[in-house]
Amino acid sequence: MLSRSWRHLARRYSQATTFRTNENSPAQHSEKQEGLFYTMKPELCKQLFSHGGFPKSFMQQTKTFTETAVMVRQPALDLISCIKASDLNQPAIRYVLYGEKGSGKSLTLAHVLHYAHEDGYLIVHVPWVSEWLRRVPRHKEMSNSQTNEGFVDLPLDAAAWLIHFKSQNQTLLKSENLKVSKEYVWSKREKTEAGSPLHTLVEHGINRVKYACDVVDVLIDEIKMLSSSKQCKTFVAIDGFNSFFYPLTRLSTPTKKTVKPDEVTLTTSFLKLTHNDWTNGVIVVTADQLAVPDDHQESFLPRYLLYKKGFDHLDPFVPIEVGRYNEKEFQSCVGYYRDRLWLRGPPEVETELKFTSACNPYRFMEQCAPL
Amino acid sequence: MSLFMRNYKPNSLATVYNVKLWRLNSTTADSVMKKDDNEEEEFRVLDILKKKDRMQRRVVRRADIQPDRADRMALDQKWGNVWPGPKTFHPSSVPLPLRQGYVSKGQAPPGKKANAELMKIPNFLHLTPPVIKSQCEALKQFCTEWPSLLNSEEAIEKHYPVEIITSDYCHASPSIRNPLARVVTLRFKLSTLKLDKHSRDKFIRLVGERYDKETDLVTITADRCPVRVQNLDYVNYLLTACYHEAWNVEEWEKEKTEEDMEYYEWNNNASKKSLVNWFMRTKNEFKELSEDEYRSFDVSVIPNAEGYKDAVSSLMNDGESDETVRKYGDSVRKLLGLPEKKVV
Repeated sequence: MLSRSWRHLARRYSQATTFRTNENSPAQHSEKQEGLFYTMKPELCKQLFSHGGFPKSFMQQTKTFTETAVMVRQPALDLISCIKASDLNQPAIRYVLYGEKGSGKSLTLAHVLHYAHEDGYLIVHVPWVSEWLRRVPRHKEMSNSQTNEGFVDLPLDAAAWLIHFKSQNQTLLKSENLKVSKEYVWSKREKTEAGSPLHTLVEHGINRVKYACDVVDVLIDEIKMLSSSKQCKTFVAIDGFNSFFYPLTRLSTPTKKTVKPDEVTLTTSFLKLTHNDWTNGVIVVTADQLAVPDDHQESFLPRYLLYKKGFDHLDPFVPIEVGRYNEKEFQSCVGYYRDRLWLRGPPEVETELKFTSACNPYRFMEQCAPL
Repeated sequence: MSLFMRNYKPNSLATVYNVKLWRLNSTTADSVMKKDDNEEEEFRVLDILKKKDRMQRRVVRRADIQPDRADRMALDQKWGNVWPGPKTFHPSSVPLPLRQGYVSKGQAPPGKKANAELMKIPNFLHLTPPVIKSQCEALKQFCTEWPSLLNSEEAIEKHYPVEIITSDYCHASPSIRNPLARVVTLRFKLSTLKLDKHSRDKFIRLVGERYDKETDLVTITADRCPVRVQNLDYVNYLLTACYHEAWNVEEWEKEKTEEDMEYYEWNNNASKKSLVNWFMRTKNEFKELSEDEYRSFDVSVIPNAEGYKDAVSSLMNDGESDETVRKYGDSVRKLLGLPEKKVV
């Protein structure tokens, strides 16, 4: 009995040492930690990802596993080393994450986002562009833009994003050196003074939902200016970026006219942000098959998903592929799932699962679920 | 008792013996014996249907019938004489143990005699190698010598670039015409035509799917006229017309935009513009260039720009694949001065 429990403990220990790393700071991650899981602190997760950022299935998994463990993978390490090596005084460099469905683009983005947060970047993070352009709940708030003729506002979405922005940058927004450069007049009685802190602008957008889209637009201009003048450094992360370039959205005006992505004010704002005419910033976007409808999912390569227009917009960008698990990553993931009792059964199951899931992270997780 | 007595007749034992012996041989003989027996019966049976006589009837074989021709063929005969031309299969002419046809499992397919399956399929029994050889020998006297300078495929292609393909049909029917004989196909390599950049592009657009990019062959087929000569003229006319039209430059061709281009020319595209813009920003120069200035901007002042240019061009022209995307990524990293991707 004693020997059995001893063996059990030893096994747990050996597993724990082979798939986990205690290095919880992404800035310190290196090749040594590749394929190992690190744990994000719950309060940090709440701050960064409470309004989206993790895929839904991963959110469920974190609840099941009662922890947020992310694998340190090659694309994220690559991206972090590139960011470290790049000169921030140069125009912002664009990185495009691409890869098959379920290969972990969003989680790689989350990992790098954690790095950026730790490194003191101002974070401009769009969790999922299709949420604005392609998801149409029963009461989608849409209105014609007051400031731009022929454009469509999505005020509720913009306000929700402002809340997300505020919660991600709680600490930075409190600092005094982020100031609005000029006066913005919203209406007769409402205006934002020049020199008032940035968070008043954000607050205004949240409280006066009507102006949320305009606030986002102004905010992005301000952020670009502040970054270029070295008041802060900015990290832009947009998931499902190729949604901006698909010819149609699923939105339609009250007159049943379908809306193109360029006719949405949020699109123009964020396309402005991803242009490289500002410095002191890093831009990471993902090109995801899931962000566009089924008829445009034949390839996962960036040029196909972004169309010519998107390619020209981002060019020159650094493509970073997020691939399937390699042998080491797969074994580490098996160890982790066994530890969490997500995967049980004899060791032969692993080879079979490896074959059936083709080392695709999402499919592997799905196939382990009933085991 | 009477039965017993009868069996004790002097010849009865021999009769029983006889019956057994004959039964081994044949049933007809057996019945004959039985008839003999019956003659000794007291009561004759009235045989209205004459069943016994019918069974008796023998299949009469004609003595004057010849054995199969296939069995009598000499081993060293000339097969070309036996089967001189195309013909439906005939079992007696072919001394081969052929079998053909569907049968259920475990059975052999039906033999060649009275076999409709063998007659349905076309055969090439008239085209055996020795026959072809002898026919070629016979035709040789009508042939002229092959020109010695046309000694290779390349030489033929060079001197006779245009290839005309037609088909002739032989019939054993009242009409010797076949409508398919009128079809004329003209084929040539596009590289043999004298065309410049513009006219080549226009020619390819004019002929459309008749041009095969892989082999560089243009194939023009005509079957709209009733006679071959007319079709031949028409094909030649089409080639001439397309060629001269390709050299024409119309007024509206100046309106050609970047989307209409047949290939990706990096210098005219947005990619170069964004590269130049990026470069000027890194140098902290802010000025707006005109379209022509962008086009004529010398990218050799930008370090690593040549590799980037090649990578973008190959990504656009050769299609997107893992290889081209990787090449593009490497060149961009070099351009922006980022560390190279680690190869796992």
